[in-house]
Amino acid sequence: MEIPVALAKTAYKKPFTKKVYPYLFIMPFALLVLVFFILPAIATIIMSFTDLNASMKINFVGLDNFKRIFSDYSMPQILWNTFIFAVITLVFSLFFGLFISIATQYFLKGKFTAVIYRVLWLIPSIIPAVVYVTFWKYLFDPTDEGFINKVLLLFQPDGDPISWFTKIAMAVVIIATIVSTTSGGMILLSAAISSIPEDLYKAAKVDGASEKSVITKIILPSLKWPLMYITISDLIGFVSSYFFILLLTNGGPMRDTTTLSLYAYQQAFNLKYYGYGAALSLVVVLISLILTLWLLRLFDFDEMIKPSRIED
Amino acid sequence: MSTTTVKKLLVHTYLLLFTMPIVGMIIWYFLSATFNSTTGQFSLENFNFVKEPVEYAGVNLPAIWPIVLNTLVYSFLIVVIEIFIAVPAAYAFSRLDFKGKLGAMKFLFLMRSFPGITLIIATFFILVQMNLVNTYLGVILVAISGSLPGRVYIMKGFFDEVPWDLEWAAMVDGCTRFRALMKVLVPYVLPGIGAIAVFAFLGAYGEWFLFKLFIFDDNMLTLAGYLSRLVTKENVIMNYGLITAIGLFYTIPLVVFYIFTQKVFLKVNLGGAKQV
Repeated sequence: MEIPVALAKTAYKKPFTKKVYPYLFIMPFALLVLVFFILPAIATIIMSFTDLNASMKINFVGLDNFKRIFSDYSMPQILWNTFIFAVITLVFSLFFGLFISIATQYFLKGKFTAVIYRVLWLIPSIIPAVVYVTFWKYLFDPTDEGFINKVLLLFQPDGDPISWFTKIAMAVVIIATIVSTTSGGMILLSAAISSIPEDLYKAAKVDGASEKSVITKIILPSLKWPLMYITISDLIGFVSSYFFILLLTNGGPMRDTTTLSLYAYQQAFNLKYYGYGAALSLVVVLISLILTLWLLRLFDFDEMIKPSRIED
Repeated sequence: MSTTTVKKLLVHTYLLLFTMPIVGMIIWYFLSATFNSTTGQFSLENFNFVKEPVEYAGVNLPAIWPIVLNTLVYSFLIVVIEIFIAVPAAYAFSRLDFKGKLGAMKFLFLMRSFPGITLIIATFFILVQMNLVNTYLGVILVAISGSLPGRVYIMKGFFDEVPWDLEWAAMVDGCTRFRALMKVLVPYVLPGIGAIAVFAFLGAYGEWFLFKLFIFDDNMLTLAGYLSRLVTKENVIMNYGLITAIGLFYTIPLVVFYIFTQKVFLKVNLGGAKQV
């Protein structure tokens, strides 16, 4: 028995126009990604093997830039800064995000005060960075104009104003960043907590559960997912972004608040060592990439991409 | 005193403590902008910049209104362009089948969590080659390329939540695929389009970094770029009164905008969908 040829030929074939159609929708987006993401990525890799600088002459120097990274005497401090900045900021913004979302969505659920607190915490992330950073500059201003110095001088009228940014610059940067990043996590966590049905709490209360076990047994398990997401995306953000530090301290005093990504920026745009800057960026990219791949393994990817259910 | 009151008090105490710096910041901003620091009297003289160009640290600043206009034009352009690029792309990712979709999705996800800012050195050179340095077009292209992956993701989440039956019904009634999109799907995902518009606007309104990097012409600055120059000019801010006054002038419209659009933020959970 063989299948008649005619039957096999009538099997449905997508016409060409239908095949091209999806690409038209993606085209503008794909073009932009190509020119301003893939191309710069390739260019960064190429540049990191050159000694491109202010003279704008391109000479390939092989692995020199990477050797230079290893022998750069400020590197240990910069890596340490990057690590301290990312980890401490992450831990505290997660903690505050958790605390505020549990407090406002569970303890004060539906109360007007809860809304007030949430709105107040959103303000640092809503207002532009340039406006936000002014406040921290004022708090820790090294002259007697600064708020903290003013307060100290009230207690010690004959004392000298303390130059905060030379003493505890990193602490200032970390505190300011924590206050502004907490809200992002808070929004996601609040949304997750508010979707827990009230009955669960009531049932737990009837069974005589303590507040502590309500939090650890009901609330925290439902936050596993958003917490994981916030952790990783924040971590990548802290490792790779430097806008805030650039505004607040410009990496100074000396290199006290310079993280790796900011260092790359300074090498390229302040000192015009474009090649070396590109090589440093590549290291930042590698660190972020490792973090991201770890993220991809955590999420089940094929799960969420569902096939089209219209045959055309 | 029941235990619940004690608990509430504790919670309030901690919350108040944590919220103090933020409240302090708001109060200080208003005080600093509206008081004359030498006499301690209430005055609006810090706001003179709306009438005439003022000087700061011995330098004459440009007039403010052209800069306000730049800011609004730039933000509006970003919003429009992002919507027109992100919505079709998100529709394709959510509803159409094409070769390489899975790979593209993975790439998109990588991009979203991948720091585009680390490529800024090479991007700078590409803009130089394209003669787009010191032009708005250059800034806009770089800015939207950085934010689009996130927008496409949010939008895809909204498209994913539209029941297929709606589209099937439209097609049974004789719509083409495209008409079904325009007549049925787009109205359904309007909240999503609203969400990405709000995010795009907030991002554009606060953008200072790209202006610092790519724009050398002071007349082309936006408010954020202008403020960032003042804030980072010296190690110490010379005149808090003026800076906070400009800051308020810049931020208050944004806060008003936010109050009217804040419902949007509640609709977008992890990328709009239950799963990212």
